[in-house]
Amino acid sequence: MLMVERSVSRKVKGGKLVKVTVRSEGGRIAEVRITGDFFAHPEEGLEQVERELRGATVSEVRKTVESATGGVTLVGLKREDIIEMVEECLE
Amino acid sequence: MDRLRVISFSAHDAASNMALDEAIAKAVGAGASPPTLRLYGWDPPAVSIGYFQEVEGEVDMDFCEANGIGVVRRLTGGGAVLHTRGELTYSLAVSDRDPAVPQDVQGSYMKICAPFVSALRELGAPACFRPINDIEVGGRKVSGSAQTRRFGAVLQHGTILLDIDERLLCALRAKMEKLRERGITGHAQRVTTLRRELGRRVSHGELSRAVKRQFKEQFGCKLDAGRPTSGELCSAPSLAERYRSVEWLFRR
Repeated sequence: MLMVERSVSRKVKGGKLVKVTVRSEGGRIAEVRITGDFFAHPEEGLEQVERELRGATVSEVRKTVESATGGVTLVGLKREDIIEMVEECLE
Repeated sequence: MDRLRVISFSAHDAASNMALDEAIAKAVGAGASPPTLRLYGWDPPAVSIGYFQEVEGEVDMDFCEANGIGVVRRLTGGGAVLHTRGELTYSLAVSDRDPAVPQDVQGSYMKICAPFVSALRELGAPACFRPINDIEVGGRKVSGSAQTRRFGAVLQHGTILLDIDERLLCALRAKMEKLRERGITGHAQRVTTLRRELGRRVSHGELSRAVKRQFKEQFGCKLDAGRPTSGELCSAPSLAERYRSVEWLFRR
């Protein structure tokens, strides 16, 4: 199956610039990378979100991000931004 | 916070600066060191990028290499910053249980930035805090900060622009694109320096003194002129090696 890579960039409210890159194969996420000038506490929490998204399909993105960001404080980036951007990469 | 250790201004390379901030934050979080304010500079000049940033998108590595500009990924989130000799950088490390620093992130930025806002006002610049993490004069950014909460500590570091070396701005890709679009004046519209606002040069020492006075007053603490402990100095070199590594710089 063909590996597809898509990126979406967005200037989110508060002025931070966020870029989400998703590599997927047959609609399933192989790798996600969320980069930009935002803050996440703990920082590793965001990396955990990236790991947990591996294997997810577009319909599983919301639930996965919501549960994985439970203990993470995001500043300059909303959980909803992550969900929307990852979904957009998969569409 | 009853007492605050203050480590006076000295300039170091990028990796050493980041390593020392981390070593101090770890010692403070472990209760081995008191709350600490460190004032420092960058020699040679450097670009620091935020923890979550992509180095390729932010930094012109060839320009940095050709001009002897260091490049380092910070432990803290936020954006890419060009650090030249015309700035004062600070780091504040406090236990995450210290009631002097609010638990909520936004509140803590405001609390830690407040002494810097007052110090700038004391020097004659009408500064104000601009959420999330900036200080502005006349609507232009003069200072930015970034925070992490790890090791049982809150570590916030930030910079105050005394003067700017516009030739080195080429090191920042995003800035370059904006400069191309709007010219150098575009940058000058969003960013300012103390020299520009006050019409005179302000030294690191003059600003440092004002900052120390304001910390003492606003945090109601005694200041102890200090140095890094031997423990902090021992752990810094191996941390600096990590900050210098290709794996760390290109990890995102």
